[in-house]
Amino acid sequence: MNAAAASDALYAAHQKVYARETVGRFSRLRTIAVWVLLGLFYLLPWLQWNRRQAVLFDLPARKFYVVGLVFWPQDFFFLAWLLIIAALSLFFVTALAGRLWCGYACPQTVWTQVFVWMERLTEGSRAQQMKLDRAPWSLQKLRRKGAKQLLWVSFAAWTGFTFVGFFTPIDRLFAEVLALAVGPWEFFWIVFYGFATYGNAGYLREQVCKYMCPYARFQSAMFDRDSLIISYDPKRGEPRGARARGVDPRSKGLGDCIDCTLCVQVCPTGIDIREGLQYECIACAACIDACDSVMERMSYPRGLIRYATERSMDGGATRILRPRMVIYGSLLAGLIVAFGVAVALRNPVGIDVLRDRNALYRELPGGTIENVYSVRVLNKDEKPHRFIFSAEGLSGIAVDAELTDLRVAAGDVATVPVRLRITDPQFHGSHPVLLRITATDDSRLTARADARFISPAPRSE
Amino acid sequence: MQPQPTEPEDCVQSPAATHWSRTRQSVGIAIWSSFLAAAGTSVLCFAFVDPAAIELLPEAGTALARMTGYAVGFFLFWIAAATASVLTLYLVRTAHGSQLPAVRTWKRDPP
Repeated sequence: MNAAAASDALYAAHQKVYARETVGRFSRLRTIAVWVLLGLFYLLPWLQWNRRQAVLFDLPARKFYVVGLVFWPQDFFFLAWLLIIAALSLFFVTALAGRLWCGYACPQTVWTQVFVWMERLTEGSRAQQMKLDRAPWSLQKLRRKGAKQLLWVSFAAWTGFTFVGFFTPIDRLFAEVLALAVGPWEFFWIVFYGFATYGNAGYLREQVCKYMCPYARFQSAMFDRDSLIISYDPKRGEPRGARARGVDPRSKGLGDCIDCTLCVQVCPTGIDIREGLQYECIACAACIDACDSVMERMSYPRGLIRYATERSMDGGATRILRPRMVIYGSLLAGLIVAFGVAVALRNPVGIDVLRDRNALYRELPGGTIENVYSVRVLNKDEKPHRFIFSAEGLSGIAVDAELTDLRVAAGDVATVPVRLRITDPQFHGSHPVLLRITATDDSRLTARADARFISPAPRSE
Repeated sequence: MQPQPTEPEDCVQSPAATHWSRTRQSVGIAIWSSFLAAAGTSVLCFAFVDPAAIELLPEAGTALARMTGYAVGFFLFWIAAATASVLTLYLVRTAHGSQLPAVRTWKRDPP
Protein backbone atom coordinates (compact mmCIF):
# COMPACT_ATOMS: atom_id res chain seq x y z
CA MET A 1 0.00 0.00 0.00
CA ASN A 2 1.44 3.33 -1.06
CA ALA A 3 -0.63 5.28 1.42
CA ALA A 4 0.55 3.12 4.27
CA ALA A 5 4.15 3.38 3.17
CA ALA A 6 3.83 7.15 2.95
CA SER A 7 2.33 7.40 6.43
CA ASP A 8 5.09 5.16 7.78
CA ALA A 9 7.62 7.69 6.63
CA LEU A 10 6.05 10.27 8.94
CA TYR A 11 7.09 8.33 12.00
CA ALA A 12 10.64 8.02 13.19
CA ALA A 13 11.59 4.39 13.59
CA HIS A 14 11.40 2.95 17.07
CA GLN A 15 14.55 3.40 19.15
CA LYS A 16 15.75 1.22 21.95
CA VAL A 17 15.13 2.67 25.41
CA TYR A 18 18.30 2.55 27.46
CA ALA A 19 16.94 2.92 30.96
CA ARG A 20 19.39 4.24 33.49
CA GLU A 21 19.73 2.21 36.68
CA THR A 22 18.06 3.62 39.80
CA VAL A 23 18.44 3.15 43.53
CA GLY A 24 15.90 4.18 46.10
CA ARG A 25 12.79 3.20 48.00
CA PHE A 26 10.66 2.18 45.05
CA SER A 27 13.48 0.45 43.20
CA ARG A 28 13.98 -1.66 46.32
CA LEU A 29 10.28 -2.44 46.43
CA ARG A 30 10.36 -3.42 42.76
CA THR A 31 13.34 -5.69 43.35
CA ILE A 32 11.54 -7.39 46.24
CA ALA A 33 8.48 -7.88 44.01
CA VAL A 34 10.66 -9.49 41.31
CA TRP A 35 12.23 -11.91 43.79
CA VAL A 36 8.93 -12.85 45.42
CA LEU A 37 6.95 -13.29 42.20
CA LEU A 38 9.64 -15.05 40.19
CA GLY A 39 10.57 -17.08 43.26
CA LEU A 40 6.98 -18.28 43.38
CA PHE A 41 6.98 -19.02 39.66
CA TYR A 42 10.25 -20.97 39.59
CA LEU A 43 9.89 -22.84 42.89
CA LEU A 44 6.16 -23.57 43.12
CA PRO A 45 6.19 -26.50 40.64
CA TRP A 46 8.86 -28.23 42.74
CA LEU A 47 6.79 -28.10 45.92
CA GLN A 48 5.34 -31.47 46.93
CA TRP A 49 2.09 -32.21 48.74
CA ASN A 50 0.88 -35.69 49.69
CA ARG A 51 3.55 -37.24 47.47
CA ARG A 52 2.41 -35.30 44.42
CA GLN A 53 3.14 -31.89 42.92
CA ALA A 54 1.40 -29.27 45.08
CA VAL A 55 0.38 -27.02 42.20
CA LEU A 56 -0.17 -28.88 38.96
CA PHE A 57 -2.61 -28.09 36.18
CA ASP A 58 -2.36 -31.58 34.79
CA LEU A 59 -3.67 -31.06 31.28
CA PRO A 60 -2.87 -34.57 29.97
CA ALA A 61 -4.91 -36.03 32.86
CA ARG A 62 -7.48 -33.17 32.90
CA LYS A 63 -7.15 -32.55 36.63
CA PHE A 64 -5.96 -29.44 38.45
CA TYR A 65 -4.22 -29.83 41.80
CA VAL A 66 -3.94 -26.79 44.03
CA VAL A 67 -2.36 -27.88 47.31
CA GLY A 68 -5.07 -30.01 48.98
CA LEU A 69 -7.75 -29.38 46.37
CA VAL A 70 -8.40 -31.25 43.16
CA PHE A 71 -10.38 -29.55 40.41
CA TRP A 72 -11.97 -31.39 37.53
CA PRO A 73 -13.25 -30.11 34.21
CA GLN A 74 -16.69 -30.14 35.89
CA ASP A 75 -15.35 -27.48 38.26
CA PHE A 76 -14.64 -25.08 35.40
CA PHE A 77 -17.08 -22.75 37.07
CA PHE A 78 -14.56 -22.17 39.89
CA LEU A 79 -11.89 -21.18 37.39
CA ALA A 80 -14.24 -18.68 35.74
CA TRP A 81 -15.15 -17.34 39.16
CA LEU A 82 -11.48 -16.97 40.05
CA LEU A 83 -10.84 -15.03 36.84
CA ILE A 84 -13.71 -12.67 37.66
CA ILE A 85 -12.21 -12.11 41.13
CA ALA A 86 -8.81 -11.41 39.55
CA ALA A 87 -10.29 -8.90 37.09
CA LEU A 88 -12.28 -7.13 39.80
CA SER A 89 -9.19 -6.98 42.05
CA LEU A 90 -7.37 -5.27 39.21
CA PHE A 91 -10.20 -2.72 38.87
CA PHE A 92 -10.21 -2.12 42.62
CA VAL A 93 -6.46 -1.66 42.91
CA THR A 94 -6.35 0.56 39.82
CA ALA A 95 -9.09 2.85 41.11
CA LEU A 96 -7.34 3.08 44.48
CA ALA A 97 -3.67 3.24 43.63
CA GLY A 98 -3.30 3.40 39.85
CA ARG A 99 -1.14 1.09 37.84
CA LEU A 100 0.50 -0.83 40.69
CA TRP A 101 -0.01 -3.96 38.59
CA CYS A 102 2.02 -2.55 35.68
CA GLY A 103 4.84 -1.19 37.82
CA TYR A 104 5.41 -4.10 40.16
CA ALA A 105 3.54 -7.29 39.31
CA CYS A 106 2.92 -7.68 35.58
CA PRO A 107 4.97 -10.58 34.15
CA GLN A 108 6.04 -8.27 31.33
CA THR A 109 7.56 -5.82 33.84
CA VAL A 110 9.02 -8.49 36.10
CA TRP A 111 10.75 -10.52 33.39
CA THR A 112 11.91 -7.38 31.62
CA GLN A 113 13.54 -6.30 34.87
CA VAL A 114 15.50 -9.57 35.04
CA PHE A 115 16.58 -9.30 31.40
CA VAL A 116 17.69 -5.71 32.01
CA TRP A 117 19.76 -6.87 34.99
CA MET A 118 21.43 -9.47 32.79
CA GLU A 119 22.10 -6.80 30.18
CA ARG A 120 23.74 -4.56 32.81
CA LEU A 121 25.79 -7.47 34.10
CA THR A 122 27.25 -8.19 30.66
CA GLU A 123 27.15 -4.84 28.86
CA GLY A 124 27.53 -2.44 31.75
CA SER A 125 25.74 0.78 32.62
CA ARG A 126 23.43 2.80 30.40
CA ALA A 127 26.24 4.90 28.95
CA GLN A 128 28.42 1.84 28.38
CA GLN A 129 25.57 0.07 26.61
CA MET A 130 24.96 3.03 24.29
CA LYS A 131 28.64 3.25 23.54
CA LEU A 132 28.88 -0.48 22.88
CA ASP A 133 25.94 -0.37 20.48
CA ARG A 134 27.43 2.53 18.54
CA ALA A 135 30.87 0.91 18.39
CA PRO A 136 31.85 -1.25 15.41
CA TRP A 137 32.00 -5.00 15.94
CA SER A 138 35.07 -6.10 17.85
CA LEU A 139 36.12 -9.08 19.91
CA GLN A 140 35.14 -7.19 23.05
CA LYS A 141 31.69 -6.37 21.68
CA LEU A 142 31.21 -9.95 20.52
CA ARG A 143 32.20 -11.25 23.95
CA ARG A 144 29.81 -8.94 25.80
CA LYS A 145 26.89 -9.49 23.44
CA GLY A 146 27.57 -13.23 23.39
CA ALA A 147 27.55 -13.42 27.19
CA LYS A 148 24.27 -11.51 27.29
CA GLN A 149 22.67 -13.83 24.74
CA LEU A 150 23.92 -16.86 26.65
CA LEU A 151 22.33 -15.59 29.86
CA TRP A 152 19.12 -14.56 28.11
CA VAL A 153 18.67 -17.81 26.21
CA SER A 154 19.44 -20.02 29.23
CA PHE A 155 17.09 -18.05 31.43
CA ALA A 156 14.35 -18.10 28.79
CA ALA A 157 14.77 -21.86 28.34
CA TRP A 158 14.51 -22.40 32.10
CA THR A 159 11.42 -20.20 32.11
CA GLY A 160 9.82 -22.24 29.32
CA PHE A 161 10.67 -25.46 31.15
CA THR A 162 9.16 -24.16 34.40
CA PHE A 163 6.04 -22.99 32.60
CA VAL A 164 5.45 -26.43 31.09
CA GLY A 165 6.19 -27.87 34.54
CA PHE A 166 2.95 -26.31 35.76
CA PHE A 167 1.01 -28.42 33.27
CA THR A 168 2.86 -31.71 33.28
CA PRO A 169 4.61 -33.18 36.36
CA ILE A 170 7.89 -31.27 36.61
CA ASP A 171 10.09 -33.98 38.13
CA ARG A 172 9.20 -36.33 35.28
CA LEU A 173 9.72 -33.52 32.77
CA PHE A 174 13.12 -32.75 34.28
CA ALA A 175 14.19 -36.37 33.94
CA GLU A 176 12.98 -36.33 30.33
CA VAL A 177 14.96 -33.16 29.61
CA LEU A 178 18.11 -34.70 31.09
CA ALA A 179 17.61 -37.84 29.00
CA LEU A 180 16.81 -35.72 25.90
CA ALA A 181 13.53 -37.61 25.65
CA VAL A 182 10.95 -34.84 26.02
CA GLY A 183 7.56 -35.48 24.42
CA PRO A 184 6.90 -33.56 21.18
CA TRP A 185 4.33 -31.17 22.63
CA GLU A 186 6.21 -30.58 25.85
CA PHE A 187 9.26 -29.67 23.77
CA PHE A 188 7.20 -27.42 21.53
CA TRP A 189 5.68 -25.50 24.44
CA ILE A 190 9.03 -25.13 26.24
CA VAL A 191 10.46 -23.54 23.10
CA PHE A 192 7.30 -21.50 22.49
CA TYR A 193 7.13 -20.01 25.98
CA GLY A 194 10.90 -19.63 26.19
CA PHE A 195 10.94 -17.76 22.90
CA ALA A 196 8.01 -15.55 23.96
CA THR A 197 9.88 -14.66 27.17
CA TYR A 198 13.09 -13.96 25.26
CA GLY A 199 11.35 -11.74 22.72
CA ASN A 200 9.04 -9.91 25.11
CA ALA A 201 11.51 -9.31 27.95
CA GLY A 202 14.66 -9.02 25.84
CA TYR A 203 13.52 -6.94 22.90
CA LEU A 204 9.89 -5.78 22.95
CA ARG A 205 9.88 -4.61 26.58
CA GLU A 206 7.95 -1.34 26.93
CA GLN A 207 6.62 -1.70 23.39
CA VAL A 208 4.31 -4.45 24.65
CA CYS A 209 2.85 -1.95 27.12
CA LYS A 210 2.71 0.88 24.59
CA TYR A 211 1.29 -0.86 21.57
CA MET A 212 -0.12 -4.22 22.59
CA CYS A 213 -1.47 -4.11 26.12
CA PRO A 214 -5.24 -3.55 26.30
CA TYR A 215 -5.11 -2.78 30.03
CA ALA A 216 -2.83 0.20 29.37
CA ARG A 217 -5.56 1.71 27.22
CA PHE A 218 -8.65 1.04 29.28
CA GLN A 219 -7.20 1.51 32.75
CA SER A 220 -8.02 5.22 32.44
CA ALA A 221 -11.69 4.24 32.66
CA MET A 222 -11.10 3.10 36.25
CA PHE A 223 -9.21 6.22 37.19
CA ASP A 224 -10.69 9.26 38.79
CA ARG A 225 -9.32 12.37 40.45
CA ASP A 226 -8.67 10.40 43.65
CA SER A 227 -6.57 7.61 42.12
CA LEU A 228 -2.89 7.48 42.95
CA ILE A 229 -0.67 8.34 39.98
CA ILE A 230 2.95 9.29 39.47
CA SER A 231 2.85 13.05 39.29
CA TYR A 232 5.32 15.81 38.64
CA ASP A 233 4.49 18.90 40.63
CA PRO A 234 4.71 21.70 38.04
CA LYS A 235 3.74 24.37 40.56
CA ARG A 236 6.87 23.55 42.53
CA GLY A 237 9.14 22.58 39.66
CA GLU A 238 8.51 25.20 37.01
CA PRO A 239 10.15 27.13 35.53
CA ARG A 240 12.84 24.46 35.34
CA GLY A 241 16.46 25.25 34.69
CA ALA A 242 20.08 24.67 35.68
CA ARG A 243 21.51 26.47 38.68
CA ALA A 244 24.51 26.18 40.92
CA ARG A 245 24.11 24.37 44.22
CA GLY A 246 23.27 26.61 47.17
CA VAL A 247 21.74 29.32 45.00
CA ASP A 248 18.20 30.19 46.01
CA PRO A 249 16.17 29.22 42.95
CA ARG A 250 13.53 31.86 43.67
CA SER A 251 16.16 34.58 43.36
CA LYS A 252 16.82 33.38 39.81
CA GLY A 253 13.12 33.02 39.10
CA LEU A 254 13.38 29.23 38.92
CA GLY A 255 11.36 26.38 40.32
CA ASP A 256 12.83 23.29 41.98
CA CYS A 257 13.37 21.27 38.77
CA ILE A 258 17.03 21.56 37.80
CA ASP A 259 16.28 19.99 34.41
CA CYS A 260 18.88 17.25 34.84
CA THR A 261 16.64 14.88 32.79
CA LEU A 262 17.45 11.97 35.10
CA CYS A 263 13.73 11.22 35.32
CA VAL A 264 13.68 10.74 31.54
CA GLN A 265 16.85 8.66 31.53
CA VAL A 266 15.59 6.16 34.10
CA CYS A 267 12.16 5.75 32.49
CA PRO A 268 11.78 2.24 31.07
CA THR A 269 9.18 3.51 28.58
CA GLY A 270 11.24 6.55 27.64
CA ILE A 271 8.72 9.26 28.46
CA ASP A 272 9.09 12.60 30.22
CA ILE A 273 6.82 12.50 33.27
CA ARG A 274 7.02 16.31 33.47
CA GLU A 275 4.68 16.47 30.48
CA GLY A 276 1.90 15.12 32.68
CA LEU A 277 0.09 11.79 32.88
CA GLN A 278 0.66 9.69 29.78
CA TYR A 279 -0.71 6.29 28.99
CA GLU A 280 2.81 5.01 28.36
CA CYS A 281 3.61 5.50 32.07
CA ILE A 282 3.59 2.09 33.77
CA ALA A 283 3.88 3.70 37.22
CA CYS A 284 7.14 1.96 38.11
CA ALA A 285 8.22 5.01 40.16
CA ALA A 286 11.81 4.91 38.84
CA CYS A 287 11.54 8.66 38.16
CA ILE A 288 10.49 9.27 41.79
CA ASP A 289 13.65 7.56 43.06
CA ALA A 290 15.81 9.42 40.55
CA CYS A 291 14.29 12.81 41.34
CA ASP A 292 14.37 12.23 45.12
CA SER A 293 18.10 11.51 44.96
CA VAL A 294 18.64 14.77 43.07
CA MET A 295 16.44 16.74 45.47
CA GLU A 296 18.47 15.35 48.36
CA ARG A 297 21.75 16.37 46.78
CA MET A 298 20.36 19.82 46.12
CA SER A 299 19.04 19.95 49.73
CA TYR A 300 15.49 20.49 48.45
CA PRO A 301 12.59 18.57 49.96
CA ARG A 302 11.79 15.24 48.30
CA GLY A 303 8.69 14.64 46.24
CA LEU A 304 8.96 16.95 43.24
CA ILE A 305 7.84 13.78 41.45
CA ARG A 306 5.70 11.66 43.76
CA TYR A 307 2.76 9.33 44.14
CA ALA A 308 -0.17 11.70 44.37
CA THR A 309 -3.76 12.03 43.27
CA GLU A 310 -4.94 14.63 40.82
CA ARG A 311 -7.11 16.12 43.57
CA SER A 312 -4.25 16.45 46.03
CA MET A 313 -2.08 18.03 43.32
CA ASP A 314 -4.79 20.65 42.91
CA GLY A 315 -4.67 21.32 46.64
CA GLY A 316 -7.71 19.23 47.64
CA ALA A 317 -7.92 16.31 50.07
CA THR A 318 -7.96 12.84 48.53
CA ARG A 319 -11.09 10.84 49.24
CA ILE A 320 -10.53 7.12 49.56
CA LEU A 321 -14.10 6.12 50.37
CA ARG A 322 -15.99 7.03 47.24
CA PRO A 323 -18.87 5.23 45.50
CA ARG A 324 -16.55 3.52 43.01
CA MET A 325 -14.40 2.08 45.78
CA VAL A 326 -17.39 0.98 47.84
CA ILE A 327 -18.98 -0.79 44.87
CA TYR A 328 -15.77 -2.49 43.67
CA GLY A 329 -14.78 -3.32 47.25
CA SER A 330 -18.06 -4.84 48.39
CA LEU A 331 -18.48 -6.79 45.13
CA LEU A 332 -14.96 -8.13 45.50
CA ALA A 333 -15.38 -9.05 49.16
CA GLY A 334 -18.67 -10.80 48.40
CA LEU A 335 -17.20 -12.78 45.52
CA ILE A 336 -14.15 -13.85 47.54
CA VAL A 337 -16.20 -14.97 50.54
CA ALA A 338 -18.68 -16.82 48.31
CA PHE A 339 -15.79 -18.48 46.47
CA GLY A 340 -14.25 -19.68 49.72
CA VAL A 341 -17.59 -21.03 50.93
CA ALA A 342 -18.32 -22.72 47.60
CA VAL A 343 -14.90 -24.42 47.52
CA ALA A 344 -15.22 -25.53 51.15
CA LEU A 345 -18.71 -26.92 50.59
CA ARG A 346 -17.81 -28.47 47.23
CA ASN A 347 -19.08 -32.00 46.93
CA PRO A 348 -16.02 -34.25 46.60
CA VAL A 349 -18.05 -36.96 44.89
CA GLY A 350 -20.05 -36.77 41.70
CA ILE A 351 -22.23 -38.94 39.50
CA ASP A 352 -23.13 -38.78 35.79
CA VAL A 353 -25.84 -41.03 34.37
CA LEU A 354 -26.21 -41.93 30.72
CA ARG A 355 -28.95 -44.24 29.46
CA ASP A 356 -27.86 -47.33 27.60
CA ARG A 357 -28.51 -46.46 23.98
CA ASN A 358 -29.04 -49.97 22.67
CA ALA A 359 -32.28 -50.85 24.37
CA LEU A 360 -34.99 -48.79 26.02
CA TYR A 361 -35.79 -51.61 28.42
CA ARG A 362 -35.52 -55.35 28.86
CA GLU A 363 -38.28 -57.66 29.95
CA LEU A 364 -37.02 -60.32 32.32
CA PRO A 365 -38.88 -63.52 33.21
CA GLY A 366 -41.48 -62.96 35.92
CA GLY A 367 -42.68 -59.61 34.58
CA THR A 368 -39.63 -57.66 35.73
CA ILE A 369 -38.65 -54.61 33.63
CA GLU A 370 -34.97 -53.70 33.56
CA ASN A 371 -33.30 -50.44 32.39
CA VAL A 372 -29.52 -50.21 31.93
CA TYR A 373 -27.50 -47.06 32.53
CA SER A 374 -23.87 -46.21 32.14
CA VAL A 375 -22.87 -44.46 35.37
CA ARG A 376 -19.71 -42.44 35.93
CA VAL A 377 -18.69 -42.14 39.57
CA LEU A 378 -16.21 -39.35 40.36
CA ASN A 379 -14.15 -39.42 43.50
CA LYS A 380 -12.44 -36.01 43.82
CA ASP A 381 -11.43 -36.78 47.41
CA GLU A 382 -7.84 -37.28 48.54
CA LYS A 383 -8.51 -40.91 49.57
CA PRO A 384 -10.26 -43.92 48.02
CA HIS A 385 -13.90 -44.65 48.84
CA ARG A 386 -16.37 -47.48 48.37
CA PHE A 387 -19.80 -46.48 47.13
CA ILE A 388 -23.22 -48.08 47.27
CA PHE A 389 -25.92 -47.28 44.75
CA SER A 390 -29.55 -46.63 45.51
CA ALA A 391 -32.53 -45.50 43.46
CA GLU A 392 -35.33 -43.22 44.62
CA GLY A 393 -38.52 -41.77 43.27
CA LEU A 394 -40.37 -44.90 42.18
CA SER A 395 -41.93 -47.43 44.50
CA GLY A 396 -40.53 -50.92 44.25
CA ILE A 397 -37.46 -49.90 42.24
CA ALA A 398 -34.32 -51.92 42.93
CA VAL A 399 -30.67 -51.63 41.99
CA ASP A 400 -28.76 -54.52 40.54
CA ALA A 401 -27.45 -56.37 43.57
CA GLU A 402 -24.05 -57.27 42.18
CA LEU A 403 -23.05 -53.60 42.09
CA THR A 404 -23.70 -52.44 45.60
CA ASP A 405 -20.08 -51.87 46.43
CA LEU A 406 -17.84 -49.99 44.01
CA ARG A 407 -14.31 -48.95 44.90
CA VAL A 408 -13.05 -45.72 43.33
CA ALA A 409 -9.44 -44.64 43.91
CA ALA A 410 -8.54 -41.15 45.11
CA GLY A 411 -9.04 -38.60 42.34
CA ASP A 412 -10.32 -41.22 39.96
CA VAL A 413 -13.39 -41.98 37.87
CA ALA A 414 -15.11 -45.32 37.49
CA THR A 415 -17.67 -46.06 34.80
CA VAL A 416 -19.96 -49.00 35.47
CA PRO A 417 -23.21 -50.34 34.04
CA VAL A 418 -26.05 -50.08 36.55
CA ARG A 419 -29.34 -51.98 36.15
CA LEU A 420 -32.58 -50.76 37.68
CA ARG A 421 -35.50 -53.18 38.00
CA ILE A 422 -39.18 -52.94 38.74
CA THR A 423 -41.54 -55.87 39.15
CA ASP A 424 -45.00 -54.38 38.81
CA PRO A 425 -47.37 -55.38 36.00
CA GLN A 426 -49.29 -52.11 36.40
CA PHE A 427 -46.19 -50.01 35.75
CA HIS A 428 -46.08 -48.38 32.30
CA GLY A 429 -44.49 -45.49 30.44
CA SER A 430 -41.57 -43.22 31.21
CA HIS A 431 -40.90 -41.95 34.73
CA PRO A 432 -38.21 -39.83 36.35
CA VAL A 433 -36.00 -41.63 38.82
CA LEU A 434 -33.08 -40.56 41.03
CA LEU A 435 -29.83 -42.50 41.18
CA ARG A 436 -27.74 -41.92 44.28
CA ILE A 437 -24.26 -42.95 45.38
CA THR A 438 -23.18 -42.89 49.01
CA ALA A 439 -19.74 -43.61 50.40
CA THR A 440 -19.76 -46.57 52.77
CA ASP A 441 -17.30 -44.93 55.17
CA ASP A 442 -18.96 -41.51 55.26
CA SER A 443 -22.66 -41.11 54.59
CA ARG A 444 -22.22 -37.36 54.02
CA LEU A 445 -20.30 -38.16 50.83
CA THR A 446 -23.26 -38.55 48.55
CA ALA A 447 -24.36 -37.38 45.12
CA ARG A 448 -27.39 -37.99 42.97
CA ALA A 449 -28.42 -37.63 39.37
CA ASP A 450 -31.68 -37.65 37.45
CA ALA A 451 -32.51 -40.43 35.03
CA ARG A 452 -35.58 -41.83 33.32
CA PHE A 453 -36.99 -45.29 33.80
CA ILE A 454 -38.85 -46.60 30.76
CA SER A 455 -41.21 -49.50 30.67
CA PRO A 456 -43.41 -50.82 27.84
CA ALA A 457 -46.72 -49.14 27.08
CA PRO A 458 -49.75 -51.12 28.20
CA ARG A 459 -50.65 -53.78 25.67
CA SER A 460 -54.01 -53.13 24.05
CA GLU A 461 -56.07 -56.29 24.57
CA MET B 1 28.34 18.28 43.36
CA GLN B 2 25.54 19.06 41.05
CA PRO B 3 24.34 16.15 38.94
CA GLN B 4 25.11 16.90 35.35
CA PRO B 5 23.77 15.20 32.26
CA THR B 6 26.57 12.73 31.56
CA GLU B 7 26.67 12.79 27.80
CA PRO B 8 24.63 15.46 26.07
CA GLU B 9 23.48 13.17 23.25
CA ASP B 10 22.17 10.64 25.81
CA CYS B 11 19.64 13.11 27.05
CA VAL B 12 18.39 14.21 23.68
CA GLN B 13 17.16 10.68 23.13
CA SER B 14 13.42 10.65 23.62
CA PRO B 15 12.09 7.33 22.39
CA ALA B 16 8.52 8.31 23.18
CA ALA B 17 8.72 10.56 20.18
CA THR B 18 9.53 7.57 18.01
CA HIS B 19 6.89 5.10 17.05
CA TRP B 20 6.35 1.78 15.46
CA SER B 21 5.30 2.04 11.85
CA ARG B 22 1.63 1.52 11.08
CA THR B 23 2.26 -1.87 9.57
CA ARG B 24 4.31 -3.03 12.51
CA GLN B 25 1.67 -1.77 14.92
CA SER B 26 -1.10 -3.54 13.03
CA VAL B 27 0.79 -6.82 13.01
CA GLY B 28 1.68 -6.51 16.69
CA ILE B 29 -1.86 -5.62 17.71
CA ALA B 30 -3.39 -8.39 15.59
CA ILE B 31 -1.03 -11.09 16.89
CA TRP B 32 -1.37 -10.08 20.50
CA SER B 33 -5.11 -9.45 20.71
CA SER B 34 -5.86 -12.67 18.83
CA PHE B 35 -3.48 -14.53 21.16
CA LEU B 36 -5.48 -13.31 24.16
CA ALA B 37 -8.76 -14.28 22.50
CA ALA B 38 -7.39 -17.72 21.52
CA ALA B 39 -6.08 -18.39 25.02
CA GLY B 40 -9.44 -17.53 26.58
CA THR B 41 -11.40 -19.53 24.03
CA SER B 42 -9.11 -22.54 24.46
CA VAL B 43 -9.63 -22.57 28.22
CA LEU B 44 -13.39 -22.31 27.77
CA CYS B 45 -13.55 -24.89 24.98
CA PHE B 46 -11.33 -27.54 26.57
CA ALA B 47 -13.07 -27.23 29.92
CA PHE B 48 -16.02 -28.88 28.19
CA VAL B 49 -14.41 -30.86 25.38
CA ASP B 50 -11.96 -33.66 26.10
CA PRO B 51 -9.70 -33.94 23.05
CA ALA B 52 -9.08 -37.61 23.90
CA ALA B 53 -12.67 -38.22 22.84
CA ILE B 54 -12.14 -36.70 19.39
CA GLU B 55 -12.04 -39.64 16.99
CA LEU B 56 -10.27 -37.65 14.27
CA LEU B 57 -7.03 -37.56 16.20
CA PRO B 58 -4.69 -40.38 15.24
CA GLU B 59 -3.97 -41.43 18.81
CA ALA B 60 -7.54 -40.96 20.08
CA GLY B 61 -7.95 -41.88 23.71
CA THR B 62 -4.38 -41.22 24.83
CA ALA B 63 -2.65 -38.43 26.73
CA LEU B 64 -0.81 -37.57 23.52
CA ALA B 65 -4.15 -37.09 21.76
CA ARG B 66 -5.09 -34.60 24.47
CA MET B 67 -1.85 -32.65 24.08
CA THR B 68 -2.28 -32.63 20.31
CA GLY B 69 -5.91 -31.59 20.66
CA TYR B 70 -5.11 -28.70 22.97
CA ALA B 71 -2.31 -27.43 20.75
CA VAL B 72 -4.16 -27.80 17.45
CA GLY B 73 -7.29 -26.24 18.97
CA PHE B 74 -5.33 -23.32 20.39
CA PHE B 75 -3.60 -22.56 17.09
CA LEU B 76 -6.84 -22.88 15.13
CA PHE B 77 -8.46 -20.35 17.48
CA TRP B 78 -5.41 -18.12 17.15
CA ILE B 79 -5.44 -18.23 13.36
CA ALA B 80 -9.18 -17.54 13.25
CA ALA B 81 -8.93 -14.62 15.67
CA ALA B 82 -5.83 -13.21 13.94
CA THR B 83 -7.62 -13.31 10.60
CA ALA B 84 -10.50 -11.37 12.08
CA SER B 85 -8.11 -8.87 13.69
CA VAL B 86 -6.12 -8.24 10.53
CA LEU B 87 -9.27 -7.93 8.45
CA THR B 88 -10.82 -5.50 10.93
CA LEU B 89 -7.71 -3.32 11.02
CA TYR B 90 -7.46 -3.38 7.25
CA LEU B 91 -11.10 -2.47 6.68
CA VAL B 92 -11.09 0.28 9.28
CA ARG B 93 -7.89 1.82 7.98
CA THR B 94 -8.81 1.69 4.32
CA ALA B 95 -12.37 2.93 4.82
CA HIS B 96 -13.17 6.08 2.89
CA GLY B 97 -12.40 9.11 5.02
CA SER B 98 -10.70 7.13 7.79
CA GLN B 99 -8.65 9.50 9.88
CA LEU B 100 -7.33 6.96 12.36
CA PRO B 101 -4.07 8.22 13.78
CA ALA B 102 -1.20 5.77 13.87
CA VAL B 103 -0.87 6.08 17.64
CA ARG B 104 -3.22 7.61 20.16
CA THR B 105 -1.33 9.75 22.61
CA TRP B 106 -2.79 11.57 25.53
CA LYS B 107 0.03 14.00 25.66
CA ARG B 108 -0.62 17.67 25.77
CA ASP B 109 0.02 19.40 22.52
CA PRO B 110 3.28 21.31 22.44
CA PRO B 111 2.71 25.04 22.92
